Amino acid sequence: MSAADVANLFVSALLLAGVYAAMSVGMTIIYGVMKIVNLAHAGFLMLGAYFVFELYTRFSIDPLLGVLLGFPVFFLIGMGIHWLMIRRIPRSDQPTLASLLLLFGLWLVLQNLGYLIWGSSDRAILTPRTLSTFQFGPIVVPAVRLVVFGVAVASLAALEFVLRRTWFGRAVRALMQNSDAGRLAGVNVERTARVAFGVGIAFAGTAGGLLAMLYPFTPDFGGSFLLRAFVIIVLGGLESFAGVAIGAVILALVETFSILAIPAGYQPAIAFSLLVLALVVLPEGIAGLWNRRQRWT
Amino acid sequence: MNSIFHIGFRKHLWNWLGLLLLVGILVLPGCGKIGKSGNEIRIGVVLPITGREAKPGQYQREGIELAIHQINENGGIMVRDKGKKLPIKEIFYDDGSDQAKSAGFVERAMSADEVTAVVGGYSTALGEAESVMPDRYQTPWITAGAAATHIFSHGYQYIFGTLSSTDLLGYTTGDFLGSLVDAGKLKKNLAVALALENTDHGVEYGAGIKRWTDEHPGYFRIVFNEKFDLGSTDFSGLLQKVKNAKADIYLVDAHLQDYITMERQYVQTGMHHQMLSYGARGPDSDARKALGDATNYIFAGLWWSKKLPYPQVKKFVADYQAFTGHEPDSYYPGTAYDAMRALAMAIEQAGTLNKTAIRDALRNVELKDSLLPGQTLHFGKNGQVSNPFIIVQNKPEDKTDIVYPKDASTGDAVAPRPR
Repeated sequence: MSAADVANLFVSALLLAGVYAAMSVGMTIIYGVMKIVNLAHAGFLMLGAYFVFELYTRFSIDPLLGVLLGFPVFFLIGMGIHWLMIRRIPRSDQPTLASLLLLFGLWLVLQNLGYLIWGSSDRAILTPRTLSTFQFGPIVVPAVRLVVFGVAVASLAALEFVLRRTWFGRAVRALMQNSDAGRLAGVNVERTARVAFGVGIAFAGTAGGLLAMLYPFTPDFGGSFLLRAFVIIVLGGLESFAGVAIGAVILALVETFSILAIPAGYQPAIAFSLLVLALVVLPEGIAGLWNRRQRWT
Repeated sequence: MNSIFHIGFRKHLWNWLGLLLLVGILVLPGCGKIGKSGNEIRIGVVLPITGREAKPGQYQREGIELAIHQINENGGIMVRDKGKKLPIKEIFYDDGSDQAKSAGFVERAMSADEVTAVVGGYSTALGEAESVMPDRYQTPWITAGAAATHIFSHGYQYIFGTLSSTDLLGYTTGDFLGSLVDAGKLKKNLAVALALENTDHGVEYGAGIKRWTDEHPGYFRIVFNEKFDLGSTDFSGLLQKVKNAKADIYLVDAHLQDYITMERQYVQTGMHHQMLSYGARGPDSDARKALGDATNYIFAGLWWSKKLPYPQVKKFVADYQAFTGHEPDSYYPGTAYDAMRALAMAIEQAGTLNKTAIRDALRNVELKDSLLPGQTLHFGKNGQVSNPFIIVQNKPEDKTDIVYPKDASTGDAVAPRPR
């Protein structure tokens, strides 16, 4: 295999990592603030995909703009769901069975709602960007993957900015570190949790819209991505956004390059092996490793 | 004495009423079922109309329902020992593309619903799950959507299928490519790369191609053969390996979603092969919408096509469109329609609703105006038909031609594919 082939694969893995990071960050926010594993995440990925698809087919709105328009819509949906259901779950420092069952049920409801509205046909978004590529010397970059990567990185950067520079961001980080201390310091836990849930769902919807530009989808969409999101946030350290980015890069690189050595049929086993490895060797994820290293120095 | 009886009766009045209600619940529906089944033929239909296989499942359901509608419009099926025609009553279950549910619903149809037969099982995986039930309940079962030969190799006596084996699909693909070599359109000894979905379907497809290449030395050589997982999110690694293999022909066996995802990445990475196929996928309308011109010149082996130049196919397409409001897509409704018609013919020939007699009749059925290539449907010894496949090729402007075999062709094969 030539150096150009390796470089192409590396670029491909990086672009895939962008997609993986975008779809995982929403789960991390929700888990970090509320200690809830959002099993309905895949349902919102699916709704995000259909949202962008509908805007594109009915009103000819560019999918990229559709993704941006989807953010506030899904933010409001997330806030509404929090008000309607999530706030009624007893608060806990650990994921509870009640929250898992509620969100799994919500996923099933969303899926069936999808079948009622859109039926079972495979949908896909085909724009002039879909199959076009940029050529940088020997390296070929698919335009749509580059766009998706760019939006994913920009949204992660915006989130990082909000978390570092705003009162809401500080409140979120305080609750992620220690919710009791955060409450004592004057953080309105209920309101912060509601907004954080809204942001988490907004990121899920946005990621769904981005994925719709790359993959065909049905109301069943999102399941395989949900499993990968689990791997990424466990690798990253459950509550760390930088960890999510690193986890996404690791998973994408391992998935892409390991296929060169082992049959492609084992690709799902790679993700699950990483999950097991992370839980056994790095239970606190990469972020935990980083924190430990900082404490030693 | 009288008063003692009254006191005892009053004391247990609620118990008696409860018992009566229970008996009513248990007995009355049963009475209804006996009455109903005396005047109708209950046929179970178990297909996925939600979940991963929803689309083909829906088309198959429509094909079955069109056949039932037409049979009932003619008064039903003549059952000799009843001395009259009986209408078909469909009992439908959506298995949600889930194997456990699929098997469970077939069991329910065969036991609780007391159906005469079951038609269903789209996809090899779901069909395989269902296929263990028919012999257990000695009820005939016909699948119009599961093709893997191993389903029919367990020695089951009550299972039938209207799809020829996937092995034959691979073998016919070899036949077609060989005919292109013979016609001088492709050179001899070209290198073939195989990427197969990690299912029995994929394995048998690959085995069929390998069998053909072994039997016809000098035509092609297989230089790459690998499986991939269903529903993959990224094919860049696999495609890189295919690229490294420097093949001239790329043959894939994939489900629709993987076909769309892989073909997008294939085009984006600038790959090109002289011939390209995704097994039984190619002309699917969803794929053509998702991929546009990128589907041009992809060829596929199909069990059936609406383009087949038979008068019965033309009539079926018109009837289907009038019944559903849309055209048939891919092979799905055609094989399902014939499965239901073959079952109806077997019931009529058996002259009874005895399930074993119907099973025996199915073994001898010959549907001479079949929609399938070859125009005659006959179940083989293992219960599976062995009708020939047709090869179709996508052409520009959303056209699809049957390009093989010659006697069914509607256009010439374009080979090699233009860049």
